[in-house]
Amino acid sequence: MPTDTKRIRGPEVSQSLSRFICKPETTLPSDGTRADGRNRDQVDVRPVFVRCGLVSQAKGSAYIEAGNTKLICCVYGPKETERKDETDMKCGRLFADMRFAPFSCPERGSWIQGSQEKDLSLMVLESLQPAVCLHKYPRSQIDVNVMVLENNGSALAHAITCASLALADAGIEMYDLVLGCSIRQDGASYLIDPTFLEESGSYWASGENQGSLTVSFLPSLNQISGLQSDGEMGEGTLTAGVRTCIEGCYKLYPVIQQALVKAVRGAAPPPSES
Amino acid sequence: MATVQLSEAEKVYVLHGIRDDLRVDGRSCEDYRHMEIETDVVSNTDGSAKVTLGHTAVLVGIKAEMGKPRPAQPAEGYLEFFVDCSANATPEFEGRGGEELGTELTNTLYRVFNNKRSVDLASLCISPGEHCWLLYVDVLLLQCDGNLYDGISIAIKAALFNTKLPKVLISEGEEGGTEIELSDDPYDSVRLSVDNVPCIVTLCKVGPRHVVDATLQEKACSVASLIMAVTPAGTCTCMRKVGGGSLDPESFFEMTEAGRRVGRALHGPLMALLSQEEALGQKRQKVGFLG
Amino acid sequence: MSPMKLCVPGDKLCSTDDCIPGTGVYMRHGYIYSSLAGYVLKKNEGEELPVISVVRETETQLLPDVGAIVTCKVTSINPRFAKVHILYVGSTPLKDRFRGTIRKEDVRATEKDKVETYKSFRPGDIVLAKVISLGDVQSNYLLTTAENELGVVVAHSEAGAQMVPINWCEMQCPRTHTKEFRKVARVQPEYLHA
Repeated sequence: MPTDTKRIRGPEVSQSLSRFICKPETTLPSDGTRADGRNRDQVDVRPVFVRCGLVSQAKGSAYIEAGNTKLICCVYGPKETERKDETDMKCGRLFADMRFAPFSCPERGSWIQGSQEKDLSLMVLESLQPAVCLHKYPRSQIDVNVMVLENNGSALAHAITCASLALADAGIEMYDLVLGCSIRQDGASYLIDPTFLEESGSYWASGENQGSLTVSFLPSLNQISGLQSDGEMGEGTLTAGVRTCIEGCYKLYPVIQQALVKAVRGAAPPPSES
Repeated sequence: MATVQLSEAEKVYVLHGIRDDLRVDGRSCEDYRHMEIETDVVSNTDGSAKVTLGHTAVLVGIKAEMGKPRPAQPAEGYLEFFVDCSANATPEFEGRGGEELGTELTNTLYRVFNNKRSVDLASLCISPGEHCWLLYVDVLLLQCDGNLYDGISIAIKAALFNTKLPKVLISEGEEGGTEIELSDDPYDSVRLSVDNVPCIVTLCKVGPRHVVDATLQEKACSVASLIMAVTPAGTCTCMRKVGGGSLDPESFFEMTEAGRRVGRALHGPLMALLSQEEALGQKRQKVGFLG
Repeated sequence: MSPMKLCVPGDKLCSTDDCIPGTGVYMRHGYIYSSLAGYVLKKNEGEELPVISVVRETETQLLPDVGAIVTCKVTSINPRFAKVHILYVGSTPLKDRFRGTIRKEDVRATEKDKVETYKSFRPGDIVLAKVISLGDVQSNYLLTTAENELGVVVAHSEAGAQMVPINWCEMQCPRTHTKEFRKVARVQPEYLHA
């Protein structure tokens, strides 16, 4: 990122206002309901709004909105690989890049990709890779770029869903769609599709089974393509969490299917039978 | 990543062996390779350990520095990780070649220790909001022969066990500020509790089964692996799928179960070994890097 | 006619006993699944089973494949080969640039040893060619023009006018009437497009 040296860049060290605000109760209310009216311990994902083909320059694109989490994803390619080695000759290569807009989180981020974003990019890549028929694209590369516009929790899960939708919109051959879902485990109960506050909230609270989990899932093939957990959880809790996430993915599936079908229908009338 | 090329026939051989629970080097599916651990190998560090696992060799050095606590956690110290994939391990890492793998390993380590219980961070605090211990955990890969995650995590646990922080006295200064005084006696030190430090277990899905501590050949046959950080209590502090393939839920559940079992079984002998080595004290014959 | 069925990647379409897989689909455990988001198309092509494929409005992204006829633009020449950019695969335009190479010995079918690249192509020419190999690590797509139907289709003279082919190895400028050497294609009607 080139920096403008002529501009006054302000003091070198600055701090976000949020640090000085007296924080309200950071622990999550442990009774049944959540801040946005959903219930704990229920597969109650936020309603999503999805749309394909917003970026006309890209081969395929998708936009997803779940509560206040908003992401946009573009797919470019297949194009000639820049980096060449033996494996590229037989099958294509997928590149994924996930970034947070500096204003997407409560505290301002940097334009330069941090290690957290690199980690998430890798996770997006590994979740998508099993689903894409890369052997159909020898010698070429496919680029997936995800930009988080507003982060209100579960950004990674929605990024994966959004990216698979953009790939399908780009007409890249895939074995299946990839859906993402995350949960936040809080003791014995769980919160599915957590918001930013729920995600960070009482993360450091003591007690057992505090953590979060993101699963990406191929619904038609019944395969887990990506998985990442954080915090400390027992094995039983983890497996239960994975099952819950899979259930959450299935809830998302019809919405994504419909959005894609709508995009195909909107793009062109059906071809003639001949 | 350092990889090996395998022909189809070799892959079939490895695959069939694993199916019958007999791997190329004679192990069964849940066995580790021969492992050697030595602590206190680098004198300039506050804690260090070298672990060899088959032909994978990892050196971990921990340096403690005094710093300011993070504003979000004023009463806690913190750990910084860095994994260096030097060209020593394999020529592929030369230049920027090892950077990608290094970042991946580093990020995973942050994730593994991203919870309250792995390391007692509060014990690293000297005076809240002012001073804390900052542990730089630097990992050096000396040789790569598969299963880096497990080797690194064991080496980190051993190095943390070996870490001795000098005792610090805090007194009121003349002008109201605090004064920090380090103890003069080098033996007057505090140890870290490693009771909850997890070890990573990597399970490689090969064919219908999974193996722990996969060699490079076995890794080449596998499409996906699962890494789990298991604490001695059997809880899991980090889990992630790596590799380009996918797993079906049933085999995933089997793998987590196996991972937990293997992980828990790993901690007992490891701690016994570490205390045994500790007990030898100065008389211990140092092996160093030639062993 | 009922509206055509739409599908998304991963949809199970039918059993392999009912249909033959076409494009945009894949087989798994005896069933045919969709690998694209698009319309399901069943075609009877005189065989016992209909061919099932999934098609999209815009043609799916084609990549140059062995045997495909491609339209390309010459970017540079040297005595051993001509470098080209592949613009079209069949009649589908490519969105991104793919580079290809036409080696001297692949320019024409006969008297390969007497070929001179600068008497066959010039930078800027539009050439019809066929893909013979995807190449290896060092090289790009390898193309050939060693067929009567393949070779230069559009070329400009030094004066800048579009030249007219006069025989299989010469083209003439309509303005200056100078003749220039090219490996001229006898364009087949089925390849005429746009």
